[in-house]
Amino acid sequence: MNKIGQAISEIQSLETLSKEDRWVNRLHPLSKLFLTVFYIAVTVSFPKYDLSGLLVMALYPAAVFLVSELSFKDALRRLRVVLPLVAAVGILNPFFDREVVLTIGSVQVWGGVLSMLTLMIKAVLTVLSGYLLIATTPIEKICYALRIIHIPKVFVVVVLLIYRYVTVLLQEARRITQAYALRAPGQKGVHYKVWGSLLGQMLLRSMDRANDLYDSMLLRGFDGEFHTGAKEKLKPSDFLWPVLWGAIIILLRLFPVAELLGGLFL
Amino acid sequence: MSHVHIDVENLSFSYESGTPVLREMNLHVSENESVGIIGANGAGKSTFLKLLVGLNLNFTGKVRIEEIPLEKKTLPKIREKIGYVFQDSDSQLFMTTVGEDVAFAPRNYGLPEEEVEKRVQEALEKVHIAHLRDKSIFKLSGGEKKLASLATILSMTPDMIFLDEPSVALDPRNRRNLIRVLNEFGHLKLIASHDLDFIWDTCSRVILISGGQLIADGTADEILRDQALLEENGLELPLSLTERK
Ligand SMILES: Nc1ncnc2c1ncn2[C@@H]1O[C@H](COP(=O)(O)OP(=O)(O)O)[C@@H](O)[C@H]1O
Ligand SMILES: [Mg+2]
Repeated sequence: MNKIGQAISEIQSLETLSKEDRWVNRLHPLSKLFLTVFYIAVTVSFPKYDLSGLLVMALYPAAVFLVSELSFKDALRRLRVVLPLVAAVGILNPFFDREVVLTIGSVQVWGGVLSMLTLMIKAVLTVLSGYLLIATTPIEKICYALRIIHIPKVFVVVVLLIYRYVTVLLQEARRITQAYALRAPGQKGVHYKVWGSLLGQMLLRSMDRANDLYDSMLLRGFDGEFHTGAKEKLKPSDFLWPVLWGAIIILLRLFPVAELLGGLFL
Repeated sequence: MSHVHIDVENLSFSYESGTPVLREMNLHVSENESVGIIGANGAGKSTFLKLLVGLNLNFTGKVRIEEIPLEKKTLPKIREKIGYVFQDSDSQLFMTTVGEDVAFAPRNYGLPEEEVEKRVQEALEKVHIAHLRDKSIFKLSGGEKKLASLATILSMTPDMIFLDEPSVALDPRNRRNLIRVLNEFGHLKLIASHDLDFIWDTCSRVILISGGQLIADGTADEILRDQALLEENGLELPLSLTERK
């Protein structure tokens, strides 16, 4: 299987995961959506030098990985392209902020280094929590939840279509590179002279197909509302889970838990 | 006259580019008819089917589906009556499992979940794929995808079924299977295809489109045996008919 094939099957296995019948998957999409958004907001709000406080925030993704029985290794593998990119956001900080903010033994740590690390961890935690939402909640249910909180139809439909479009685009990319490889045997990659026309083909065809997909939804009564079919009545656990985590997250944010714990053992 | 029927009067259409794709088409199709729409590639078959379900309303002339004029405000009503099977099954199926996809339309109609359940089961049984219900769409074969596409529109309990090039990309066995399934339906059917053998096996009436015009309209027997007419319009006699000579 080539790289594109791999990417497609990873998206597909992610969707399959999201449909599995596990406890976390059965939680109401709205409660997971709220919790994820809240978690991300709090994570991002940590001060730029508060590395130890931030590290403790990994508790939430760690716990969800545990209870959802999702494989952490698979997650890293799937996110291997994204994580380095988001982690690179703070890479220049050490060059701009050279004020010493911390001394460990005889080592002086610049503020820039610290803020780079916090920024990286923020990014990774944000991506991981998003991954956990997607891996435990089908896209239609996320859209359904978005509609419950009155996000406009247009916006929600666009989210859905973009999500679908990624797969369509990848499928077309695979089709075209396969057709190319068949006619250029033994050649590594695609010759740069035909990049333009292949790319054009791919975009045109995938747009056609995306258009057909949308038409097919319209013809089957789609009007921008999402009906998931499941009895999406809120269960006690749908409240308990986000409230419990909401409380923990607030605690982690307000109190220097890492230092307190450290104090216990020292 | 039965209530299930289609009337097309002086239908003309062109895409934004301006060249006319359909010209002055007239057609009446009534209940239980199975009509093959044939023509060479680019003749306008797909465009014609898409117009009839209102995927583009910039046409001139009149289209009435069961006496309801096709226009913006009647679209939801008209679309409930028509099941449209796309040429490319990958464009039709978008949920993760077969069952979910078949449930898509009835859920959009706001039916109670027991009714949705019933319709899904019935639709799957009609195309003989009840065992694929929980199977992931990605894991279906081409033939299974086509049947699944059919099921997704049968759950709408449509009065009529339109199929665009249904036999494309099917192997002989799946093709025969699809023919058998289609012939089990009593619905009004419009089947666009340049696969004349397929049309011969599924349709009793045939219309021939060429350059956007309706050139001929008659029984399958009359049209599909008319070698001169077919060749003039870029088509060939169905294989099953040539061999028999
Ligand atoms: N979306 C479109 N925009 C512009 N022209 C189109 C579009 N779709 C089809 N056409 C043109 O309309 C004509 C009829 O196409 P089509 O209905 O797909 O034919 P058929 O299905 O019989 O092969 C062709 O000349 C084609 O190039
Ligand atoms: Mg066509």
